Amino acid sequence: MPAIRAGLPSGFSALDNILPGGGWPRSGLTEILSAATGIGALRLVLPALARLSREGRWIIWVAPPHVPYSPALHGYGLDLTRVLVVDLSEDEASARLQTLWAYEQALRFDDCGAALLWQDRISNLRLRRLQIAAETSSTWGLVFRPASCASQPSPAPLRLEIEALPGVLASASSLHVSVRKARGAQAGLHCQLEL
Amino acid sequence: MPSSLPLTTIFPATAPAAVRPVDDARSTARPLPAAALWLHVHLPQLPLEVLTRGMTHSRACVLVQGEGSRRKVVMANTRAAALGIRAGMLLGAAHALGEIVELERNERAEQHALENLGLWAMQMTPLVSLVPSDGVLLEVRGSLRLFHGLDGLLARLRQGLKQLGYRAQYAVAPTPLAATLLARGTARSVVQDSHDLGRHLGELPLEVLRLAPSERAALDSIGVRTLGECRRLARADLARRLSPGLLELFDRIYGQSPDPRAAMVTPSIFEAGLELPWEVRHAQALVTAGERLLLELQGYLRAHSAMTRHLRWRLCHGARYEERFDIRLTHPARDHEHMLLLLRETLMRMTLKEPVTSIELKVDDLVQGSPAPGADLFGVRHHAQGEAYATFVDRLRSRCGSQALRAMALQPDHRPEAAWRWRQNDEPVRRGGIKTLFADGLNTRPVWLVREPITLPTEHGTPQLDGPLRLVPVRERIDTGWWDERGLARDYFIAKTTRGSRLWVYKELDGEQRWRLHGVFE
Repeated sequence: MPAIRAGLPSGFSALDNILPGGGWPRSGLTEILSAATGIGALRLVLPALARLSREGRWIIWVAPPHVPYSPALHGYGLDLTRVLVVDLSEDEASARLQTLWAYEQALRFDDCGAALLWQDRISNLRLRRLQIAAETSSTWGLVFRPASCASQPSPAPLRLEIEALPGVLASASSLHVSVRKARGAQAGLHCQLEL
Repeated sequence: MPSSLPLTTIFPATAPAAVRPVDDARSTARPLPAAALWLHVHLPQLPLEVLTRGMTHSRACVLVQGEGSRRKVVMANTRAAALGIRAGMLLGAAHALGEIVELERNERAEQHALENLGLWAMQMTPLVSLVPSDGVLLEVRGSLRLFHGLDGLLARLRQGLKQLGYRAQYAVAPTPLAATLLARGTARSVVQDSHDLGRHLGELPLEVLRLAPSERAALDSIGVRTLGECRRLARADLARRLSPGLLELFDRIYGQSPDPRAAMVTPSIFEAGLELPWEVRHAQALVTAGERLLLELQGYLRAHSAMTRHLRWRLCHGARYEERFDIRLTHPARDHEHMLLLLRETLMRMTLKEPVTSIELKVDDLVQGSPAPGADLFGVRHHAQGEAYATFVDRLRSRCGSQALRAMALQPDHRPEAAWRWRQNDEPVRRGGIKTLFADGLNTRPVWLVREPITLPTEHGTPQLDGPLRLVPVRERIDTGWWDERGLARDYFIAKTTRGSRLWVYKELDGEQRWRLHGVFE
């Protein structure tokens, strides 16, 4: 059995148990497919991002849907001096291409620990390019997409799908996480998390 | 009696008082100061190159002179030469051989180009002197060790000149004049010992001296064709037939009288420009010209042991149209490659409203020092990460605009929208300085803030988003900011949609008492 490089602890032991390598990968693309927005996709990766930032690596957010709110990020332990946001003007016609270009630059940037992207429509060819960029520079490429993209085949070595569970309390969320694809490991594993 | 004026203007002896009259050149030969070794760079094609070196895919270009039907080709580039076009040909005849671009000589541009080449060459030696109108002299003895000998220096020079777009002939000799004449006469002669000068210079044709026509005619009349023949004339004879100036010139050539050269003084700002041989409509076509200017800048910065972080570019079409743009660097830099990358990105997204015919580069904020992993965009020093970081940041900014890449900071303010802000590009980081006022509970602040709060519809008093929102029965009242006219009074709640999204919503306590969405918890 080949030795698997130790993964980045996710901060959730139940999640570490179903991830290949016992944690998040440190390079390559990871797709997180959400059944609905705002159910916890970002919360799922925040402990790992905080750890990377404290290792001195950059966390680069490319065209996020809202303003990443620094008081909360600080609360989750993110070193804000290691956070960069690529903020492109929205009215630009070529904004989508520009976003993908900027994301690729972030992936190629050696000192970038994780590059985050929110994008529904990405061609397979483009995803392959991004995967190669992320793999060669040891950058963790996080792509947040709606669950409807799950049916599109993807070169990303790790794909997770998340779904909110009907919780009794409005103050907490329960999340169902299932592994849609994991290179070098078994797909179909799933777990339940309380965020 | 021919005048000696042309000689002194072409070969100025800066210290005539030091010239000692000597009777016989050979018997009174004095040893030269061992240190001096001169390298002359002769640019035979300069008048044409200053006009064409901004473009790579060269067309057949010719330099023309004269009026009307007597217009003649005075210089042809390689492409034109390949068509069979030669200097001296009538323009009409040249046109018959193929499609050519006619260019007019621009002596001002030649002068500027020569000056900038001199500044560029100062990265190799501090003593650089210009020889009008097509040569640069370098005193290189002191630089040999730095370049691992003369071969190393010449290799570097050859490569550098090629990158700048010049074809050069050069020679090395113990006296400046000998180097100049050898470079004009033959390519690549190297004479290290002054005793060998006679042998190497003897065969040179008199043309290399660039004498005044009258002086030339006088020598022709007595059948003198080479430098050697001229030198063999009796000194008294030479002085009588021609001028004392010519005698004095020969003394300087052979090192028998001193020939000090004034070193170029470098300006404290760098300015260089390039004329383009034709109108350029697409900014991308300016990359080659820009690269040449950046190489000149690199040489200038090396000579000054300086760097810069601000490049100011100007594109124009005479007085008709101009376009200015700046490229700012995260780290002060000297290396042209990084700057070229940024220039290319910038030109790629630029649309010219009108065609341009020249490109200029100006740098006036020099930073003393040599490249090292420096302070980053936000003033924090990070070891061993300078290069990659600067490349990423500068590339992104030059392609997407200077505001495209931002960092965030906390502010001690109870108003949610004022508890954070974008950090300014050059703002220094205060580590651990400001703490958020809400570090206590993670669940009280959302990870996303909606840029502009969104008003939510209500039904029976309950805010709606994908159906009715379920509110956590704990409210947080924020009633603050009355002192700076951005006061607010709100009750904040955590709310959950039917699909499981957790949101941050508030109800206004004043005015319309709307429900508004302000954040997403996840």
